[in-house]
Amino acid sequence: MKDFASRWEKLVTAARQAPPADTVAPYGFATRIAARALGEPQPALRAVFGRFSVHALWVAGVLMLASMAANYVAFAGGEDDEQGLTDPVSEVLSSS
Amino acid sequence: MADETFDFAVCLERVRQRDQRAARELVDQLYPLVIRIVRAHLPRRVAEEDLAQEVFLKMFTRLDQYKGAVAFTHWVSRIAVTTCIDQLRAQKSRPEFRWADLSEQEAEVLDSVLTSENAVAANDALAARELVTKLLGQLKPEDRLVLQLLDLEQHSVAEISGITGWNPSLVKVRAFRARGKLKKLFEELERKERS
Repeated sequence: MKDFASRWEKLVTAARQAPPADTVAPYGFATRIAARALGEPQPALRAVFGRFSVHALWVAGVLMLASMAANYVAFAGGEDDEQGLTDPVSEVLSSS
Repeated sequence: MADETFDFAVCLERVRQRDQRAARELVDQLYPLVIRIVRAHLPRRVAEEDLAQEVFLKMFTRLDQYKGAVAFTHWVSRIAVTTCIDQLRAQKSRPEFRWADLSEQEAEVLDSVLTSENAVAANDALAARELVTKLLGQLKPEDRLVLQLLDLEQHSVAEISGITGWNPSLVKVRAFRARGKLKKLFEELERKERS
């Protein structure tokens, strides 16, 4: 391992002396990234919208159940109510 | 390297308010840091600019997750490192290292390293760097990263821990394992050279 260590050290020492490559962003790179990153809908805004959508779904479901419960008597007793109604045509005919 | 006088907190606040100019400044500021990581871990057939773009877009997407617990540059480094490692993993197979694939200068440098006691000539520094990159390319992405940061860029174990998010013991274990693999590769190359 010692032999390897010295060889490896020799190689990386030489490699470290290589001139650093250019690290300036290519022309237009930052503009392109900024436009893409900020051009899309804000994640937080999307998340809020999504959360509202889920809440709205729950509220709609609860309202549906509440309205069904409130009108249950009317649904259940619908036939009885109809039986209580008189036929308006026969009523008119009988009165004439 | 990022300018130490640059005020990241102010810039990030402006970016959160959708300020395009601040976003451009942030990219320009961080580009040297990101491109160095990308170049050190660039998978084959992937353009460095494409990978850098992916890193920056991830950074902007996750900006709300940054709580300031670590330096912003370290946070971005971790995104860059994980993005590169994911890309390298996606490649699955690594090409076999062969003498025949080396340029004439790289082969000379390798020959000198294996057979001579003398230091590598200063004008062979570029070839030496290319050679190191090719040798490191034989390792697993995580092992390659550790040796790149430790031996080539001369970061401390604590700094590597900060950049990668791995604990110092894991960094040391990976470095030890990576050197063991490189040692085997050197022995194999030496055998092939003699034969």
